[in-house]
Amino acid sequence: MSPAPIPRPAIRVDAVSKRYGRTLALDAVSFDVDEKELFALLGPNGAGKTTLMHILCTLLRPDSGAAQICGRDVVKQSRAARRRLGLVFQEPSLDDRLTVRENLELHGLVFGVPRKLRRQRIHEMLALVELTDWTDKPVQMLSSGMKRRLEIARALIHDAEILLLDEPTVGLDAQSRDRIWSYIRRLGIERRITVLVTTHYIEEVEGCDRACIVDHGKVLALGTPEALKQEYGQQILRIAPRSEEDRREILSRFADRLVSEAHDAILLASDDAFAETVFADYGGRVRSLAVERPSLATVFLSLTGREIRDQAAGARERTFAFGKRGGEHTR
Amino acid sequence: MTSGETTDIESSGRQPAFLIELGGLYGLWLREVKRSMRDRGQLIGGISRPILWVLILGIGLNPYFRGEVYGEVSFVVPFTYLQFIFPAVVALNIMYTSVQSAVSVIWDREFGFLREVLVSPMSRGSVLLGKVLGGATVAVIHGCLVLLLARFADVPLTWLDVLKALGLMAMLAFALTSLGVVIANRVRSFAGFGVFSNAVILPLYFTSSSIFPLDPALTQAQTRVVYPEWLVTLVQYNPLTYAVDALRGALIDYNQFDPRLGIAIMLIAGVVLFAIALFDFRKT
Repeated sequence: MSPAPIPRPAIRVDAVSKRYGRTLALDAVSFDVDEKELFALLGPNGAGKTTLMHILCTLLRPDSGAAQICGRDVVKQSRAARRRLGLVFQEPSLDDRLTVRENLELHGLVFGVPRKLRRQRIHEMLALVELTDWTDKPVQMLSSGMKRRLEIARALIHDAEILLLDEPTVGLDAQSRDRIWSYIRRLGIERRITVLVTTHYIEEVEGCDRACIVDHGKVLALGTPEALKQEYGQQILRIAPRSEEDRREILSRFADRLVSEAHDAILLASDDAFAETVFADYGGRVRSLAVERPSLATVFLSLTGREIRDQAAGARERTFAFGKRGGEHTR
Repeated sequence: MTSGETTDIESSGRQPAFLIELGGLYGLWLREVKRSMRDRGQLIGGISRPILWVLILGIGLNPYFRGEVYGEVSFVVPFTYLQFIFPAVVALNIMYTSVQSAVSVIWDREFGFLREVLVSPMSRGSVLLGKVLGGATVAVIHGCLVLLLARFADVPLTWLDVLKALGLMAMLAFALTSLGVVIANRVRSFAGFGVFSNAVILPLYFTSSSIFPLDPALTQAQTRVVYPEWLVTLVQYNPLTYAVDALRGALIDYNQFDPRLGIAIMLIAGVVLFAIALFDFRKT
């Protein structure tokens, strides 16, 4: 791939590696995010997305490789890099006992936003995320979706050029997730900022400018959602055999087409003719037979041999995993 | 337009860098103070503790202090017991609050708030200083809650006394909050901290000549006859002894040691403990 020369990438990640004990969390990851781009990092939990985020926001140092934020090295010029970042972490980082306004005020003070601009931004951002009515309520009273929205507002009280969001929609209901995405898109347009967002919800990537698929610390594919679908997307036939016998028969007969075996289903690479053959031969011996058109989900499936939703971990597992890989408090 | 050579100084815009740092410091300080003022439990403790110590323990033990009950007076301190422990209770309230404020370091770490500050352009030193100053401020306020009881303890105070005491209280609070942060950095759970604070606060307090005097009229050798030697040694090596003594000097005009010693010890402890806390904090 040789993209047209870009004046200066907003984010440059160059062969970044990071190891936790024996596991290689990031394995020479490289990509650029252009200015004003809405860029998604898609991968299952444990793919290394959060590690990369922590490196970009200077909380972690890469073992090797380099990363730049607006041309500032995250290790050597970390404070200059941080000033340009707006961040929304995966775990909430608001002060529960302060009010909504106080949290935003504090952020403005800490980032050196002059008083007048601070007041104005707080007003604007709260209006944007529709929390104006909650301005003087303690954060404790907010629902988790509202807290998320407040964190997005907070990330942009200062003059951030890049907004980094780590799984901004995880654990939220569908309605809150839609809302959050509508804010993210509006921000990209209104504030003209670069947005890098990690997610493991495939459908969320559709609206992004470009997406990077990562798994086990490696970049598997990178491009616009359309390009990804064209290049890696394939039609997939999902078969749920009735009996173990049928299952084995199908598996042995179509071994060369096997994409993945999950729970009680077999996933085979397919085209329309193949689907008809399977239907004719096994139509009576399967519980269900479904054709899945090329989509980002099938892209992911073909690249990793796994379905991403199998990987979605609950809050508890995430916290546990967080602690296990060292967390921040045991580091 | 090329970038690259641009460094830290640019683009902070209208304000010079130190003002930004100062603003952040103010923000973090304000946060600590607001949080503590909203913490009912801490406030209740800050009020009930001095009442118990001054009014119950102080008044209860008052008659025994000068041997009036048994009619046997071995030495005379020209104060009632109530007056004598009053400055120590100020120190006690400051101790509890300082250490309690420092506990919030664990909360911040555990609940993510710390991360929000760590990715800001503020230096680690300012972040920690904001935290410690905030905690120290709350501790001084709780110390002042004890001062309100002065009239019940027969401690007449002039404004000058109060000012002197405030200065000493601020030094003590700063040193103790730094100590609390140093401990909190080494403790991994809330339960652990509770045990730790009881294992640190009360022993330090009891061995600081806060609730009984080392008799100034006795020589070193005589003191060791009246009290067991290990206790005298403990009291003499406890830095808090000198802080409490300095406070006594300011509040009831009674010193067992040179009052400058107390000031020097508090200043040195404050600087050293803050430096250790900062060293730990930079590593995270």
